[in-house]
Amino acid sequence: MNSADLIELYRTVVTIRFAELRIREHVEAEGFGGFWHPGIGQEGVQAGAVAAMRSDDYLYYAHRGLGYAIAKGMDMAVLFGDLLGRSTGSTGGKGGGTVHFADQSRGVLGQGGTLGSNFVMGAGTATASQLLGDGRVTVVFFGDGAAGRGTWHEAALQASVWKLPVVWVCENNGWALSARFTDQSPTPNIADRAPAYGMPGVIVDGQDPIAVHDATSEAIGRARSGEGPTLIEAKTLRIRGHYEGDRQPYREDKVADDEIPNDPVHRLGEQVDDDTRRQIDAEAREKVAAAFDEALAAPRADPSVIFEAVWA
Amino acid sequence: MASERVLGYARAINEALAEEMRRDERVWMMGQDIGKMGGVFGLTKGLQEEFGASRVRDTAINETFIVGGAAGAALGGTIPVVELQFADFVLTAADEVFHKLAKWRYMHGQFEMPVVVRLPSGVVGGAGAEHSQSLETLGMHIAGLKVAVPATPADAKGLLKSAIRDPNPVLFFEHKGLYRAKGPVPEDPELVVPFGVANVARQGRGMTVVATGLMVGRALEAADRLSEDGIDLEVVDPRTLVPLDIDTIVASVEKTHRLLIVHEAPRTAGFGAEIAQQVQERAFFALDAPVWRVAGTDTPLPQDPELEQMCIPSVDDIVEAARALAAV
Ligand SMILES: Cc1ncc(C[n+]2csc(CCOP(=O)(O)OP(=O)(O)O)c2C)c(N)n1
Ligand SMILES: [Mg+2]
Repeated sequence: MNSADLIELYRTVVTIRFAELRIREHVEAEGFGGFWHPGIGQEGVQAGAVAAMRSDDYLYYAHRGLGYAIAKGMDMAVLFGDLLGRSTGSTGGKGGGTVHFADQSRGVLGQGGTLGSNFVMGAGTATASQLLGDGRVTVVFFGDGAAGRGTWHEAALQASVWKLPVVWVCENNGWALSARFTDQSPTPNIADRAPAYGMPGVIVDGQDPIAVHDATSEAIGRARSGEGPTLIEAKTLRIRGHYEGDRQPYREDKVADDEIPNDPVHRLGEQVDDDTRRQIDAEAREKVAAAFDEALAAPRADPSVIFEAVWA
Repeated sequence: MASERVLGYARAINEALAEEMRRDERVWMMGQDIGKMGGVFGLTKGLQEEFGASRVRDTAINETFIVGGAAGAALGGTIPVVELQFADFVLTAADEVFHKLAKWRYMHGQFEMPVVVRLPSGVVGGAGAEHSQSLETLGMHIAGLKVAVPATPADAKGLLKSAIRDPNPVLFFEHKGLYRAKGPVPEDPELVVPFGVANVARQGRGMTVVATGLMVGRALEAADRLSEDGIDLEVVDPRTLVPLDIDTIVASVEKTHRLLIVHEAPRTAGFGAEIAQQVQERAFFALDAPVWRVAGTDTPLPQDPELEQMCIPSVDDIVEAARALAAV
């Protein structure tokens, strides 16, 4: 990765971090009508993988934060608007919580609220790209828990058989709500499941955004050239509870005070010179604050949205 | 200029698929055994030959992918027309049907979802409790899905073409027992049957019978028999349940003052209950008698073909009910 790209990647990672912190501040102070699933500590996976995508590539994100969409270039004020149920959100005010947002112009196609939906949806979108020959790749994010869904099997099998341009990115953060990954997996890695589908399974350090970028970049290259899907497993750690406010009574090894092992922000930041880093940090903090204020100031949706977008 | 030929219901569907794939390159199909084999019921015969294995795709046995993948492929700019081998399998792909297809646009405040799910439906003879159901009412209860229930070859063709051109997801219930039924089908490839417009299959003054799918033919047969006794049935086929042409049903009831609803689906909470309710809300004072239903039994369907027929309305059942209702 050249230094300009590295600096941009750092900017993305640190922007997501400030967004995480700003949202938490809001949730702790007043909350909102929905759950917030913090992704703090997992920014390296989200930013690293998305940085390897083309702007017209398709993204199905997971529920752990907004990092995926920020990295894909979605407007933060819009995203915060979705979070806060504001009419300026991408869903026109039906949001509330982290669940849904989309931006067709940037290939952000959304997320199913039922875990595992993204597998079949993503394989389907990749089928469309194959049919149309549009050269786009679909990247699907999911957690270690979601990997247990049967839709994974149905989608992964068909995607490999048809050599679809799709990349599966698992954020293995060790937990699925109260379920420890190692208690629900017969093998130590999600990537161990890849050979059954005849595709490469790649394990990467999720705290290393550059490594995630490089692995994803290779997988996207394979996908785009017609060689089919790749399963990437990024090893990371859930720093907070399942949702903000979850006191995790089921977890003995809770992370104290955001002590993020191998913090991707610091790790990448070390490779940026101090002046540049300080400037990026200040800009990112300011941008997040301004976007959040903009969203807060926006009106809540008119109840008429209840009846909107049911039908095309 | 639209000349009419006689065509089978299955052939009419096949023709609609071919015409729409010729008209629009974005239209494509997937399902189990639909390519080389032409479908377990033969509906897609010849299509892979004409359009290739890329646009007419055989899948693994993976209903969640067939439907969920169709949803994703619609977001990717194509128009998927997918087949589940049996309508019952909407329950195998329930999350994809009722959440992804029905709600993706709503949840995300954008996108169109032009997907057609073709669903061979209903009793056909010994297919059993998981291969014979009439599940169309499910599509009425969960917002975001259109529901077609064609009863004739012409409607099968015309409604399917409308479905493919619709930017919304459509559950297209083809009755397996009608695949061999024949009827006039217009040749004009631009002739479509709009959704939400009921067909008055028979004019009458004595009683309105609302029926869909296989039950339309049985209601017409019952009407022929009853006309000998001076009971004059008007048979209304809604053709689509979402949207539902309640206006035509109400207008008919205002003329006949009696309503009998016939459906193959189980009696309890079937679409007949909804129609009865809407009619009494709008035309209570037009009714000279309670609204009655002749419907499937509130049981699973037994595998035995003879027992199975006893679980769905027969012509005799309709005749008997209509006669009794006329006397109320
Ligand atoms: C089909 C389905 N089952 C259960 C849930 C409830 N649920 C939401 S997130 C979650 C845990 C997911 O774990 P994982 O996939 O590892 O993602 P993480 O939360 O760790 O990021 C559960 C059980 C759901 N939304 N959908
Ligand atoms: Mg997890």
